Amino acid sequence: MNIAVNVRASLRAIASVARKEFLHIWRDKRIVALVLVLPPFFTFLFGHAFEATEPKGVAAVLQDRDQSVASTRLVKRLAGQETFAWRFQAAEPACDEDLVRQGVQAILVIPAGWGNGLQDGVPMPLQLLVDGGDTQTAVVVEGTLKEALGEFQVEARDAMVKNLPPGVVQLGGLLPVAVRQQFASAMTPWSLETRILYNPRLRFIDYVIPGVIGLILQLLTVTLMACTITRERETGTLYQLMVTSLRQWEIVVGKVLPFLAISLLLIGLTVAVAYFHFGVRFQQAPVLALICLLFLLCSLGMGLLISSFSETQTQAIQFAVFYLLPVFPLSGAFAPLSQLPENIRYVSQLFPLTHFCHAFRLINLDNAPFSYIVNDLLRLAAGVLLTCGGAALLLRRTQQ
Amino acid sequence: MPEPHIVIEGLCKEYGRMLAVDRLSMTIPRGEIFGFLGANGAGKTTTIRMLCGLTQPTAGRAFIGGRDVWLDRSHVRYQFGYVAQKFSLYPDLSVLENLRFFGGACRLAPADLAARVEVLLDQMDLRSKRDAGAGSLSGGMKQLLAMACALLHRPPLLFLDEPTSGLDPVHRQQIWNLLYDLSHDGTTVFVTTHYMDEADRCTEVGFLDRGSLLAKETPQNLKRRFRGQLLELDVDPVMPALVSLRGAPGVLDAVLRGGRVRLYANQPAELFDAWRREWPFPDLRWTGHRWVDADMEDVFKAYSQGYAGLLT
Repeated sequence: MNIAVNVRASLRAIASVARKEFLHIWRDKRIVALVLVLPPFFTFLFGHAFEATEPKGVAAVLQDRDQSVASTRLVKRLAGQETFAWRFQAAEPACDEDLVRQGVQAILVIPAGWGNGLQDGVPMPLQLLVDGGDTQTAVVVEGTLKEALGEFQVEARDAMVKNLPPGVVQLGGLLPVAVRQQFASAMTPWSLETRILYNPRLRFIDYVIPGVIGLILQLLTVTLMACTITRERETGTLYQLMVTSLRQWEIVVGKVLPFLAISLLLIGLTVAVAYFHFGVRFQQAPVLALICLLFLLCSLGMGLLISSFSETQTQAIQFAVFYLLPVFPLSGAFAPLSQLPENIRYVSQLFPLTHFCHAFRLINLDNAPFSYIVNDLLRLAAGVLLTCGGAALLLRRTQQ
Repeated sequence: MPEPHIVIEGLCKEYGRMLAVDRLSMTIPRGEIFGFLGANGAGKTTTIRMLCGLTQPTAGRAFIGGRDVWLDRSHVRYQFGYVAQKFSLYPDLSVLENLRFFGGACRLAPADLAARVEVLLDQMDLRSKRDAGAGSLSGGMKQLLAMACALLHRPPLLFLDEPTSGLDPVHRQQIWNLLYDLSHDGTTVFVTTHYMDEADRCTEVGFLDRGSLLAKETPQNLKRRFRGQLLELDVDPVMPALVSLRGAPGVLDAVLRGGRVRLYANQPAELFDAWRREWPFPDLRWTGHRWVDADMEDVFKAYSQGYAGLLT
């Protein structure tokens, strides 16, 4: 009976803190506008920014110094490639090799005598200059050209085989069957039969969407939350709170609740943009909701923790920025964690966003069973307890 | 002696090397209006914060209603209201929202809270401002609202840290009337102030200087501690007189009171006799004099300036 009365009084106290905190947000119309407009807008913006992974329209110079039948055919094939935005240069004079001065990322030169070399059995290499500064583009440029060259070669070989004189075919008939079969096999392009699982449409947006949603929500929740207690400390209202019969944990819970409600609304908004605009489909919605909830609580707790040990709002924002910064490159939000060295990946494990993205992708892309994400959920839950508990404890210490 | 409400035993607070409160001991009976006086930085606010359980004492103990203010602070909290020196309500919330929040934070039941809000809106004369933002109120109204918030849970004890500083006389009067009402209803009031006319209205005052309690008496007794009377002179022109007299040998200080120069001196009678024999200021005209009893301001001055010779 007594416990029930206490619980009811406690809930009422929490409710009054939550209502007050909500009014603070609601009265600040700029914050309301910011909170409602930015997340869907950023989802839209980031989504498009990360839509395409392969570079397209790389500025490059193509100089054909050979002007033979073969080189003309190769140029024609290369011209059709989306990867490059070619600038064709006349055969003479020799090309300026300065990429920066030319304003391009690659220069491809077909040397004079290339066509003849192919005819005479001494194929010459093409000359490729590529800007290694942008490592990703350099690799893509080289790979695309190699691929194009390979296709060109297969095409030339097929034409050659087709035009073999009849005498050669007869001569081939004299070969032992086994050798002929090996020969036939060698002349056929070998291939992979690929079945793409988990993200069958191979759309990067489906991969990156948890990163986008998580990052935006983390940014807003941590910064907004980080200011709540410090603002009370700056204005002196924290003392007034301390002399009421509110307990630390009631203040913490009461402050988190309205922000949690707003964050849930924001998740709804960002998910709507992802669904309707980018056509992202979501699997196992209840499990995704649970992942989001734990992640949000963890971020809010982090904000609260920052808030409870910062002296001023300026400090709180600075701490928030320093917390949020490493999350960008290290959490695997926009690129797979496997790209990071192993030691760094241990650091990544500290960020809630890492676990959020990992679990979200396992569920949404791989349709994995619940047991696969239990580990991530446990770590997020531990984060919630640590941050919120820490905040409550630090609030206690401010009284000394 | 009535039942003690606050008992303070050797309370100390050190900040680094600075001793903000130095072995403070006193007892305040229930229903008293206790005025806590002292210069800025004397340790008044620190003492109140310790009594409110906001700051841990370095040494010593204090009890409110028999409970230790630090060890038992979660219980003691229900037993007092606190009006801080700095306005510490939520400026972006309306008067009503502030009241409702603090009422909820004090665990008032909803029906009780609604009733208390109505009573306090009338008592503090804030009904017409109930929907105004707290930040837009005048200084006096802010203070009344802060008092209303502190009184929601009907505390038997109210701490007020300079509640009237910077307020106009009308609001000052209003706040003191409220304090009288509270005291009349049995509430103990613990108030700090810099206004000596306010100190005069307390049932008892304590002088704090550099963390030490110099005196704790009723205003009447305190004024009796002042030795003898003070000499007031009518001198023309008065402003240059103030400067010259302040620097005269044997004079501790001279202040202007009601157009006369009031002198603080260890031996005022001898000074008076000497000046009657030979007036040492040829460019000043002495037109009259009178002997006056010390008021609270004189007592405060004597204590805070350390004029030990003026006190018994």
